[in-house]
Amino acid sequence: MDPEAAQLEKQHVHDVYESTAPYFSDLQSKAWPRVRQFLQDQKPGSLIADIGCGTGKYLKVNSQVHTLGCDYCGPLVEIARNRGCEVMVCDNLNLPFRDQGFDAIISIGVIHHFSTKQRRIRAIKEMARVLAPGGQLMIYVWAMEQKNRHFEKQDVLVPWNRAFCSGLLSESHQSWGHPVSQGYQGPGSACGCAVCFKGRCDSKRSHSMDYGPAVARTCCEDISKEDEEENGLYNNFGKSFRSWFFSRSLDESTLRKQIERARPMKIMEGWANSTVSRQPSRHPSLDFHPQEPFSAKGPNLDEVFVDTSSQRHVGWLGTPGTSENFSGHEGGEGRRKEGSDFLDTSDTRDRVAAGHASDPSARKMLRRVSAFDSTDSKSEDPSYAEKQGDALDSRAFMRYYHVFREGELSGLLQESVSELQVLSASNDHGNWCIIAEKRGSWE
Amino acid sequence: MRSVRSFRFRPRELPSGNMKLLTHNLLSSHVRGVGTRGFPLRLQATEVRINPVEFNPDFVARMIPKVEWAALVQAADTLNLAEVPKEPTEGYEHDETFLRKMHHVLLEVDVLEGTLQCPESGRLFPISRGIPNMLLNDEETET
Repeated sequence: MDPEAAQLEKQHVHDVYESTAPYFSDLQSKAWPRVRQFLQDQKPGSLIADIGCGTGKYLKVNSQVHTLGCDYCGPLVEIARNRGCEVMVCDNLNLPFRDQGFDAIISIGVIHHFSTKQRRIRAIKEMARVLAPGGQLMIYVWAMEQKNRHFEKQDVLVPWNRAFCSGLLSESHQSWGHPVSQGYQGPGSACGCAVCFKGRCDSKRSHSMDYGPAVARTCCEDISKEDEEENGLYNNFGKSFRSWFFSRSLDESTLRKQIERARPMKIMEGWANSTVSRQPSRHPSLDFHPQEPFSAKGPNLDEVFVDTSSQRHVGWLGTPGTSENFSGHEGGEGRRKEGSDFLDTSDTRDRVAAGHASDPSARKMLRRVSAFDSTDSKSEDPSYAEKQGDALDSRAFMRYYHVFREGELSGLLQESVSELQVLSASNDHGNWCIIAEKRGSWE
Repeated sequence: MRSVRSFRFRPRELPSGNMKLLTHNLLSSHVRGVGTRGFPLRLQATEVRINPVEFNPDFVARMIPKVEWAALVQAADTLNLAEVPKEPTEGYEHDETFLRKMHHVLLEVDVLEGTLQCPESGRLFPISRGIPNMLLNDEETET
């Protein structure tokens, strides 16, 4: 279809999952409640596919149905298989199934890894093809509009840091679209110094607490595909912290004590007032600088992405700066307003995207990090001694995401996948979630 | 809570993650140009294991209408399983013998190692450690 797109996805999706899969093996994580509910609502005896199942957290939610897990990443599905789940390795763009075989399909945190609109459409059309008439498809993708942070672009690279992955850590409040909670960086989260963020952390708010421990997730299961936390808090801790995380064997209670001692609240407030985001590059597509210590190499991304303006304005949103309603989509929760402050900044985004000089913003981040270290870490345990040199963990893997604007996913289906009828669209903790139904051949 | 296993009670069987014939029944080749002629895949198994799992007659009965019967017969035959009826018997929903047989064929036969072959192009997809790998090379795919 698109060799550059395929190459980008290979490097910044498939290879990353494959490399990081070994860290996920011990961990159990809970399912998103709404996905659980969707699965539990299916009739007994249903045939269900989880396309992009990762380590298989959804495959055993409903024992009355037969669920097949599919993923591009072999090491991840091996983990699922070891848990007794039936799985296979395959490509969402070419599903190896006969037509209309499944009664329901879930796609949780998958479509946002496709780097062109055409591929995203193709992935959805493939799922529609293997869905029986009347069958339902649930899709979750990361939303561009987030409560406490701000994606400057829709196409982003998010680092993953293995420092946060440890079999000993059993709880995380984060998921890939989940803002930070209570100043405590859950073990899962994050790997997130999502380089495209402006870290506005409102430490008082904790969205993960809406669900409480019920959706506590472990780190690596999260990172596994769906759950990623581009968490400004990670940045806030500074270099020394990250070094500590990486070098120590991580014990959850120890971790908590250290974090509390570090007075994260204070750090975050300082952080919140500043723009931490990287400068967007001249390339309309990704914030991606070859000078980054952690970005070893990469394809020339210019060919992958079309001009920004045509990429973005597919017609779902009105003018920037307004918080639009989903036109015609009932069933959404009233969370759109929460995204409005991000939409307001889209003017800024458009302007900055247009062509700043490429400032190696890694260095900017470095300076920022150092500033905090000097003031906040002095009183701390000497084991937090900074390592000069790389401020950012050189083992970070960068994962590609196309984050979706409000209405974009529904619009995509309506425009390009007529065999599916959108039943509902809503926001679930920083993700756009839609449920669509395969139209019958009689329609 | 029993601490001693009594032979009067069947121990609860746990599903394995290995490929089952129910899954084989859904699989199709997606080599460029094959279309619907890519189904069913020709199964060849070099390692098979019987993994008993709890019989749920209602579950099996609901599966029956979803099965592509000819493909199932063919696959069961390849694995030398006890003869599968050419089609579901009349009133199968209440026929426990039939349902138990189908339960066994669909859900208790683990394919651990083998291949799945596209009937049209001949392309082989491997099954290893119970996991089929259905990935194609760029040249082979539609996209």
